[in-house]
Amino acid sequence: MVKKVFISLLFMNILSASSFETNCASCHESFPVEIDKFLYRYILKYSSEVNVKIALMEYLKNPTKEGSIMPEPFILRFGIKKHSALSDIELKSSIDDYWLMYKINGTLY
Amino acid sequence: MDTSLSHSEKRTLKNFVALYALLSFSILLLISILYLDFERDFMLRKKQVLLEEYAKELIQNLKYVHINLDKTRKYPRSENYRSAIFDSSKKLIFSTLQNKKVNLDDKLYKTENIIHFIKQPSSYYLGSYYVVVEIVDDELWLNGVYKKLFTYAGSLFFVLLIIGYFLSRLFLRPMREAIEMLERFIQDTTHELNTPISTINMNIEMLDSKALDEKSKTKIDRIKIASQTLSHLYDDLSFLLLNHKVISNDEELNLKELIEERLNYFEQIANVKKVSLNFICNKNQSILMDRKKITKLLDNLISNAIKYNKISGDVTVTLDEDSIVVKDSGQGIKKRNLKAVFDRFERFNYAQGGFGIGLHIVNVIAKEYGLNIDIESKENIGTKVSIRW
Repeated sequence: MVKKVFISLLFMNILSASSFETNCASCHESFPVEIDKFLYRYILKYSSEVNVKIALMEYLKNPTKEGSIMPEPFILRFGIKKHSALSDIELKSSIDDYWLMYKINGTLY
Repeated sequence: MDTSLSHSEKRTLKNFVALYALLSFSILLLISILYLDFERDFMLRKKQVLLEEYAKELIQNLKYVHINLDKTRKYPRSENYRSAIFDSSKKLIFSTLQNKKVNLDDKLYKTENIIHFIKQPSSYYLGSYYVVVEIVDDELWLNGVYKKLFTYAGSLFFVLLIIGYFLSRLFLRPMREAIEMLERFIQDTTHELNTPISTINMNIEMLDSKALDEKSKTKIDRIKIASQTLSHLYDDLSFLLLNHKVISNDEELNLKELIEERLNYFEQIANVKKVSLNFICNKNQSILMDRKKITKLLDNLISNAIKYNKISGDVTVTLDEDSIVVKDSGQGIKKRNLKAVFDRFERFNYAQGGFGIGLHIVNVIAKEYGLNIDIESKENIGTKVSIRW
């Protein structure tokens, strides 16, 4: 019985985990550069939520050296991200979660 | 002769000066607004140097926070200025502004006593596409500007008013010359009338009415009336010309006797129009006045009441404790003309003869003796002139 409850909770937890956590954060965890730093670079370059999300979407769909916001030494060391296998809807949802989690607007005091 | 400004001349002068003053004031106001705007712009340009420094400092601080976001999210503040940051969608990220209303399309502007300076940094630290720096303007510069404006604009307005006054005098010169010419003409005519009128009057008086037949007597009476009218006109004109040179010889006069005497004098003229002359003496009065002047005053009032009366109308003179009232049953005076009845040469009825000087003389005499004149008139009903003391 206890085993069944544990398996159910684990299954529910997997289901309730966001698209961002499942598809992005899990891989970035092992990365030496924290995932929020990428967003701050995007904000530094694109300023608004709309522009940041558009740029992120474009890059994730078609990652290139030219489209990357990371500096050249970073690219030389870690390379360019592989093409995402996620659908547009999943990508959008992940980006939205990413923004909500690390946005600056509304967190300053 | 009195050549002071007439009522219409004064009115024209007033209207012109008012219009001129309004126009001058409007132009000066416009220039003042432009000058104020220029000074404000100049002040803002001077403040811009300081604001640029503040904006630079703020951007540096934003950079520091952006780099250290995982350590602090405290928005940078300064004692010298307030600030705000907006993203590229003009969405507010954070603000410490006193005046929350920001125009991001304008670089530098002032609203009331608040100055806003907007700068776009090259890197959007914390997402700041627009950096707004706000300072409070002490407005001390305004005191100097207002002082200058009041001094220069006030002086200029005063000079323009003086110019306007002389301009108006220049424009009114033709009118003044026409009046002077008319007055000279009357002066000359009056002088020329003196001898013939005296001759006619003297010869009529010398005629023996008993020796005349009825037909000739009627003709002589008509000549007498015409001569009387002419004589009355001559007296009025003489009074107008000499009034300021004649010294009043005041004496106690019995008003009842005087009014009766003047009514008798006008009886023959009144008969021509079949106007009945009535006298109501509620209280006999005596008055300290120059006989010639009170006679002239009464003559003009009675003469007007007869002249502008209808055929078979009536004239009633009432003597009270504090007034003489002359009431007629004539055509009356239009309400809009009542204000100007005392003006010289002002006539509202050209069907009757005259120069329009009768009521002017009445007014001059009344003013000299501090008497109040009150005129009530209704068209086609009649006019009532009250002289009160």
